[in-house]
Order: sequence, then C-alpha cells, then structure tokens
Amino acid sequence: MNDSFVRTICPYCGTGCGLILRVRDGAAVECLPDRDHPVSRGHLCIKGWYAHEFIHHPERLTTPLVREGERFRPVSWKEAIALAAERLRGTAEKYGGNAVGGLSSAKCTNEENYLFQKLIRAAFGTNNVDHCARLCHAPTTVAMARSLGSGAMTNSIEHLARAGCIVMIGSNAAESHPIIMGEIYRAVDGGATLIVVDPRKTAAAENARIHLAIRPGTDIPLVCGMMRHIIDSGLHNGSFIGERMEGFEDLRAFLSDWTVERAARESGISEAALREAAETFARAREGAVVYCMGITQHACGTANVFALCDLAMLCGHVGREGSGIYPLRGQNNVQGACDMGALPNVYPGYQAVGDPAVRDKFRKAWGRDLSDRPGLTVTEMIGAAGEDIRALYIMAENPALSDPDVNHVLERLPALDFLVVQDIFLTETARLAHLVLPGACYAEKTGTFTNTERRFQLLRKAVDPPGDAEDDFSILCRLGGALGLDFPYRNPGEVMEEIAALAPAYGGIRHGRLEKAGIQWPCPNTEHPGTAFLHKDRFTRGKGLFVSPDHVPPRESPDGDYPFWLSTGRMFAHYHTGTMTRRSAFLNREQEEPYVEIHPEDARKLTLEDGDPIRITSRRGSIVTTARVTGRVARGSLFAPFHFTEARANRLTNPVLDPLSKIPEFKACAARVEKIRA
Amino acid sequence: MNAEKNKQGLQGGEKKGKAGAPSPKILVFACRWCGGIGAGRAGWKRMDLPVSFRVIPVECAALVEPDAIFRALASGIDGVAVLGCHIGGCRYNEANHAALKRLELVKVLLDTAGIGGRRLLLAFGTAHEDHQFAEVIRNFHEFIGKEPSLKPWLGAGEDIFLRREE
Amino acid sequence: MMTISHKSMEEIRIKARELLEKKDADGVLALRRGEEAVVAPHVFREPGEIGRLVTEPKWPLAKTAMRILQSSPRDFRLAVVVRGCDDRALVELAKRNQVTEENIRFIGLACTEEQAGRCLCERPYPRTIHGGKPQPGVHFLQDERVSSLLEGDPAERMARWAAILRRCIKCYGCRNACPICVCVPCKLEDDVWVEKGSIPAEMLVFHLIRAFHLSDACVACGACQEACPVSIPVMALQFAMRQALKDRYGYEPGLDGARKSPVLKNFLEEPETGKDYPAWITHGGTGHE
Repeated sequence: MNDSFVRTICPYCGTGCGLILRVRDGAAVECLPDRDHPVSRGHLCIKGWYAHEFIHHPERLTTPLVREGERFRPVSWKEAIALAAERLRGTAEKYGGNAVGGLSSAKCTNEENYLFQKLIRAAFGTNNVDHCARLCHAPTTVAMARSLGSGAMTNSIEHLARAGCIVMIGSNAAESHPIIMGEIYRAVDGGATLIVVDPRKTAAAENARIHLAIRPGTDIPLVCGMMRHIIDSGLHNGSFIGERMEGFEDLRAFLSDWTVERAARESGISEAALREAAETFARAREGAVVYCMGITQHACGTANVFALCDLAMLCGHVGREGSGIYPLRGQNNVQGACDMGALPNVYPGYQAVGDPAVRDKFRKAWGRDLSDRPGLTVTEMIGAAGEDIRALYIMAENPALSDPDVNHVLERLPALDFLVVQDIFLTETARLAHLVLPGACYAEKTGTFTNTERRFQLLRKAVDPPGDAEDDFSILCRLGGALGLDFPYRNPGEVMEEIAALAPAYGGIRHGRLEKAGIQWPCPNTEHPGTAFLHKDRFTRGKGLFVSPDHVPPRESPDGDYPFWLSTGRMFAHYHTGTMTRRSAFLNREQEEPYVEIHPEDARKLTLEDGDPIRITSRRGSIVTTARVTGRVARGSLFAPFHFTEARANRLTNPVLDPLSKIPEFKACAARVEKIRA
Repeated sequence: MNAEKNKQGLQGGEKKGKAGAPSPKILVFACRWCGGIGAGRAGWKRMDLPVSFRVIPVECAALVEPDAIFRALASGIDGVAVLGCHIGGCRYNEANHAALKRLELVKVLLDTAGIGGRRLLLAFGTAHEDHQFAEVIRNFHEFIGKEPSLKPWLGAGEDIFLRREE
Repeated sequence: MMTISHKSMEEIRIKARELLEKKDADGVLALRRGEEAVVAPHVFREPGEIGRLVTEPKWPLAKTAMRILQSSPRDFRLAVVVRGCDDRALVELAKRNQVTEENIRFIGLACTEEQAGRCLCERPYPRTIHGGKPQPGVHFLQDERVSSLLEGDPAERMARWAAILRRCIKCYGCRNACPICVCVPCKLEDDVWVEKGSIPAEMLVFHLIRAFHLSDACVACGACQEACPVSIPVMALQFAMRQALKDRYGYEPGLDGARKSPVLKNFLEEPETGKDYPAWITHGGTGHE
C-alpha cells in the first residue's frame, strides 16, 4: 500500500518528455506529466499520458522461447543464452563473421546500444550492425555531417519558441511530435510566421499562415526555387556566407537551372506563394527549418536534406538560439542509437570504421580484432538473409512491419539459419525467430536515452520486468560473456563510463551528472555543462559547405494501372508498428481499425463512403483496409498510417533506396484502390 | 466515422426559404406538457411557420442535455429552442427550475465562445398556445437568419478553412 | 521561477512533521526535492523525511490525493499540502463522494501575489492557512489574452477561439489534469459525441462539452491549461460561468462542502439573487393559465 512517484522519460518519440510514473504495489498505474522537466515542462501528448498501459499487459514475454515447428517452448535463460551463443558463433565459424548481423534498437538505452554494437563487432569481427535510423533519419546523419560536420539537430527544442519564421517541411509534428509542435505554436504566439510544406493538409498545415501543398517528392524544386529567389532578391546573408561558408559560387551556378517559374511549376505551388515563403524566411531575424520523414524518406532523401541545410545557411540561420536546422528524430533513442555507433560505418561518436587510428583505439579498448570494412544496412541485411547473411540478432525492432516491401521481408527472414529476436512482446518479427529473448521496457530499467536535441537523459527503474524477463543490459552482458567477451559491467552507469572514455563528444557524460536536466552533447569533460546549440562561431567541420542537391523525382509515380500516389506515415494515437500502443486500451480505443485516407472527390468517383472496406494494391502487394474520406489528403493521393499489422502499409511500399544513405522511399509510390463489394 | 456520416446527413439538403436564401435550421426541444401542446396545435391549424425547424418532443425540458445543444450547433443547426412549462407548472417536481438554471448557464458558455447565447432560445411557459408558439418560432427564425452562419467555424478537416491568407 | 518565502515553506514543514509525529496522518502528499534539486510528488511517511519537502513550483495535487485515497484502506489518513485551488478541488471531490474529508488533513499554503497573477486567481489561499499570507487575488480580465477572448465583438471572438482550439492535439491533458474530471465513463471518450481518431478535438463538441460539464464545479486551478502542450487558454472558457454563478447565486465551487450546486436545486431553495418568487411556484399551478 505504497505509492511512489518515479521520474523517467517517455518511451515513444524523440522529444524525450519527462514522465512520472505512479507506482502502487509494484505496478505502474498512472502517468503524470513532469512539471519540472526542461523540455516538456508539465506537458504530455496522448501517447505519453497512457505510456503505462502496455507495461503490465498479459502478452508480455516472460520467458525465453525456442521455436519448435509452429509453436514456442519456454526454456531457461541458461539454455537460451547457450543456444544463442552456439548458433551465432557457429554461423561465424562456418561462413565467416560477415555472415552474422545485428539490428540494434532505437528504443533501447544508449548503454544497451553500445553493448550491442560492441558484441557484434568484437565477437564476430564484422560491422554488420544497423538499426531503424536507416529507415528514418539516415539522410540527416549523412547530409548534415557533410554540410556542417555534425549530423544532429543544431539547436535545442526550446529555441524554436524564439524563431521569427519556422519552415516546417515534411513534418506533421502536431501528430508525431506534439510537444515540439507546442513550442512552434509558442513562437507563433510571439509573432512568428509558420510555413508548412506538405502535400497533405495536416493539422499543422491548417494552423499555418502559409501552407505549400507541394506535389509528392518535389521538395528540392521548391527549396531551390526559394533559394534562387532569395539570391536574386539580395536577401541572402552575404557576410555570413563570406565568413563562414564554402561552395557558394557552385551553389549559385547550380541554381541557375532553377528559376522560380520552373520551381513553382514542378512543385505545383504558385510563384507568389513561393516567393512569399522565401522572403519571409530570409528576412526573419531568427529562421528555423524543421523537418522530418517527408524530407528523408525519399530516393533523394539525402539530397533533400542538403537542400534544407543550404537554405538555412544561405540565410545565415545557423549558430544562434532560435535559428537552426531541426531534424525531429523519431524514436525515443534513435539519436542515441546512432551516437552509440549502432551503424555499419561508424563506431560510437561517429568515428569512422575505416579510419585506422580509430580502429586501433577500439581494438585496444575491446581486446579484439575488428573489421575495417563498413557493414551492411538494415535493408541490405534482410535482403541478403539466407545468402550473405546467415544469422541475425534483432533487438527490439520489428522489420516485419516497419521495413518497405514487407512481403519480401517475410520471405527472406525465414531463410536465415538462425534468427534470435529480443523484445517485450511476441512481435510479428519475433514470431519468425528460432529463439526469442524476453526483454524489459523503459519502466523496468535504468540507463539513458538521448532525445532529438542531443540531450542524454536518465531513466529510472519503476517496476520489475514480468516473470523471467530481464533488462536488455543484463541479457547483453550474459550473451557477451557466453561469446567470450569481457563484459564486466555491474550496472549501466559503468557502461557509460566506458563510452565516455572512447567517444570524445560524450567525454563528460556520467549518470551522476544527469539527475536534474540531463546533458546535451557535445560534452567533452566532466566540467563541461553540455551544449545547447552547435556551430556558434564555427561549424563542426570548420566552414559550412553548400552542397548542390540533385533532384530525383519519386522513382515510382502514378500511371494507368496504379493511378494514385501512396504515402505512408503516422497518426497521433499510435506509435510506429503498434507493438506498444495497440496494447494500450485508451490509445487503441482512439483508433482501433486500420484506415487509408482518400479525398472526397476520389471517393465519389469510386462510390466510396467513409468507413467502407477497400483494397489498396501496389506492385509489391495488397491490403484490405477501411476508407477514411477526408479533405486532408490531396486529390489523387492516398495516405496510409503504418501502425496496423492486419493491414500493413509496408506491403505496398517501394524498397528503392536513396544511394547515399540507403533509406527506402516510404513517402511515394503508386497504388490503386478498389471498393470491396460486400 | 459515425460522426462523419451524421455531419454529412445534417448538413446536406439545405432548404431554401423565400427569395432563395438558405433557410436557417432550428431545432426545437419541446416538453410534452406546456412546451409541446402549442407546437402540436400550431401544426394542426397549419399556421404560417418557417419551413426549416424540427421538433423533438421530450418528456420534460430537464431532459434536454446541453451536450445535445452543442452537438446540434456543431452539426449545422443554427439555433436551438427549448420549450418547457412555466416556472410553477412542472409536472416533475420543479425539474424545469433546474433545466432553466442549467440552460441559462449554457447561454453564458455560448456567449463566452462568441457563438452567442442568443442562439439558444428558452421559452418556459411562453409558447404553450398555438399562436404563442408560432410567434416565438417566427421571431427566433428571423433573428437566427440575421446571425452569421456558424459553418466556417465548425470542426476540422474537409471544407473547414479558418483564416488563411492565400 | 518564483520562490515562495523560505518562511512559509518552513511553516508547512512544521505542520507536516507535526501530523506525522502525532500520527494524525499516515502520509503527507507534497513535493519532494531530491538530489540535484529535482522536484517530484512524494508521499512522506516519516517525520525525518520532511526536510526534503518543498512547496515550489505550483503542482496541483488534489487529483493525485484522490487516487491515492481511493486505493488505500478506509482508515488511511492522507495529509495534503494544498494551495487554494487544491483545497477547493478536494471539497468538490468530497461533494461527489470521491473522497471523504475525514480522511484528509489539509495543510494550507497561501500563494504569493506573483503566483496569483500567473494563475489569474481570485482566491489564492485555502480555507485554513498554515503557511504564507493570503493575498488579495486578481481578476481574470486583467490578462490581455483572456480579455480578448471574453470581451468584444462575438464574431471576432468566435474566430479567435476557433483558431486557438484548432491547435488541439487531443492529448486529453486538460481532462486528465483537471481534478474535477473523474467521471467513468467520460463522455469525451464516447464516439457518439466526440469523433475518434482525428485531431483537432472539435471546439463545439469536445471543448464546450467538457467546459459545460464543469460549469458549476470548476475551481479555477488552471491545471487544464498548464497541461495543454499547445497553449490553449482552456480555463478561460470557465470564467464567465463562474462569474454568473457568483452573481446569480452567490456560489463559488469548493468553498463550502455542505452547499451543493445551486443548479441542482429549485428556485425557492436556491433563488437567483435579486429575484422574488411567490411560494406557489413549487406548490401549485397546473401550467395552464
């Protein structure tokens, strides 16, 4: 009969809101907002308010499971760890270390991600480790690293409230990052102009002064047109460019092909609106570019991000409070998973795998020989399953719903010799595994998450994992030990000490320093208070670099057989593949059924009414879902939230990849709609 | 999804009044005692009444829940009238006292929101004769006709655009 | 952030310690300042812990107190540090049989003038004060944003309300944070009334329904708008109704546990101020003259 209040961090999106769990008799019974939290300040979105509901769900995995035919048999941890070690090591011995791969988790802590990539690299001598950032902000890490020298959000979330003009492009923060949307509205209340660029009339677009409803995949034409107009009008920041930038003349030459007229025509926006948006942004004292999946999830996603960086730097809107480039990271710890090197080409702290000095440092620290060859990405590993990749270790990821062209995923994963999946529920991916390991959720562990503004934040354990489930840190230590690695850590805090010693940007991070408000990296030493915004006097790479963005239209566009644009994304009540939210009563009540948005005129032509069952088909596959007739989506376009396992939007999506960052083009492909007759 | 269909149903079929202008829609809750008798008699006598109102009979005005009034306004109805018995005459233990107090507060909230408490007409004991009913409805109809349509401010999605400087 | 004087915090601590030492209370619900100055709610059980009790920032605890009491044994006595608004909220919850005042020990904290200004609070103090000095309170129309929504041309105001409410992200924060919103089932979760699965939650149905359900119970604690991530001044919907209740019936929610809402009673028991009603109103008349 004891109530306690545990301060922790919300497990859903990258905002990293403070969450207080009220715990009674060992169960988390309620969520309360943390009024003392520097980011969320007493606010929560609907998902945060109900982030306790799935914790004690009866379907939680409570014991390791081994598959026998169609069924799973509970086994002891001893057996499970031994099996995993034996099969993974066996695969490496038979086919070489590069036949083993690991998908780390953007939901797990920094410490767990660090241990995961260390395990894969040290035990198997491969760099085949990646995670779902590949599907969301890989273009950000690649492009911003090149243009600015650092692939992370340049500012803090609260700085948005100080912007005078916010260009929100390819982001529906009102549904995906609601607390950040609140900061944007604070800016608007202070007089800022909000410009939303989105083919759909999202809630954010409805509340914007200017909504540019571009054609799908025409971000580069729009932004180039804006830049061209800014330069032609003399509104670019000459002194900033002169002192702090390189490559302006190349960009200017490149833009000679992009007249405002051409930009407007290709993007489907009026010239007047394009000019107005450009001028408003350029003229603002503080200008912010906020972006998300609508920019990154394209076959030219990396180039899209280059374009946005160019726009911001052209106007000198980087390196101050308010101004900046704000990629909104999706998962609660996707920033951290990247920072911790769960990526095939870098170690923790973005130190290149191919750099001999770096490799030497890690080799000494870990006591194992390491590969200098960059590894495979998520989509490549799954694509090669059964061939180049024989064994996969997947920690808290659900590619059976989240990867593009899931029909293909569902064919490939069973071709593996050995698949071990570690998660808190028996997800669609876990069902395909040979071995399932029951992990712990955010409320059952300590460790750190890093939010989208680079803030390391401490989690506090509120309740115990159910049954024999263990926190992922412990599982990784056991498995590492079984693979012959030295994982002597008594607690995640000790892992953080090791991380700090190997990655200079996080050199000053210690659990003991994170109690109050967390710390934003870079934080090179334990005296350093952390960094609220980057690129103040110099860019991380020295001078900022203008990179000309080559436009590639969506690789598949509507035609006679598939006359609709199809885009996929999110809605406010659910999170990603629904593993947690669809097991939360309140959230599931809010949206129980899958749906696809279709415009009223298109619905009329198909004699469809709101709520009718429909079949959506693309060249990859087909789903049966429900029609939501709404003017939010444009004529000739469909929008499918991907949260619903019974109508997986990713059966339809195009697995074509951006060549630079290997992200799939989730945001644009072609589909057709058929009414289902009763 | 139900709400969507309901909205479409109620917003569709705009009837035209005189001179072709769309006739404002009025919803009347009438208690089956004082409130409804006048309405019934006005109907039998085929009195001259504006075409666009509907009467929902209720056992007592106290059963009219304010939520239904908000919902009515959200569905495209322009004015709501609640007809009940005069203050001494409620058959159900002065339930109309509570109803009147409550509905007066609804007017306050409608005023707060700028929608206007005057869109809610309360006639407790003043519409129980047929000619009284007809006069009340005619006057209300004329008043509502002069009020700006609520349609631009309703809900979100589809046709609802609030300010947008295009 | 404003700091209440150290003195009033000490006064509160003295009272809290006393209740625990004398075993007049089984626990004290208040804010605790942990390591590195982090503040969070806490149920203090031992007098020795009280050194960590703090009274800033403003953190409405009435609803949490109710939830704790509802899942505790019947004889559990919970002391709660209450500002004026928490005090009033618990009185209203008691009227609705959600808590019994016998199980509550009120430790009253009077707010500073600055806090009253931030909350636009007309009565920034509880019924019994153990810490702080009662300040006069402010009128809500003092705030420019509020007055622009409550005074002036109705059509303009409706446009303003509609524009602000269109930001609503349907987080249910206002409902969840409100100490009076305890109904199970809640109408706002019923899709006959409120459309599911889309934002914004609509002005007329979601927000006005909630506002009216609170019409005679809102204690003006501001928890609703403090919980709103998109800065909707939710509480401003209530001000005029609260004023009407004061003007018409001399009624303010949360001041008197024995007086139920005047809206529930007839005109003779709860007459409108300044109006005379003949006695026959409740005793006679067939309704037809």
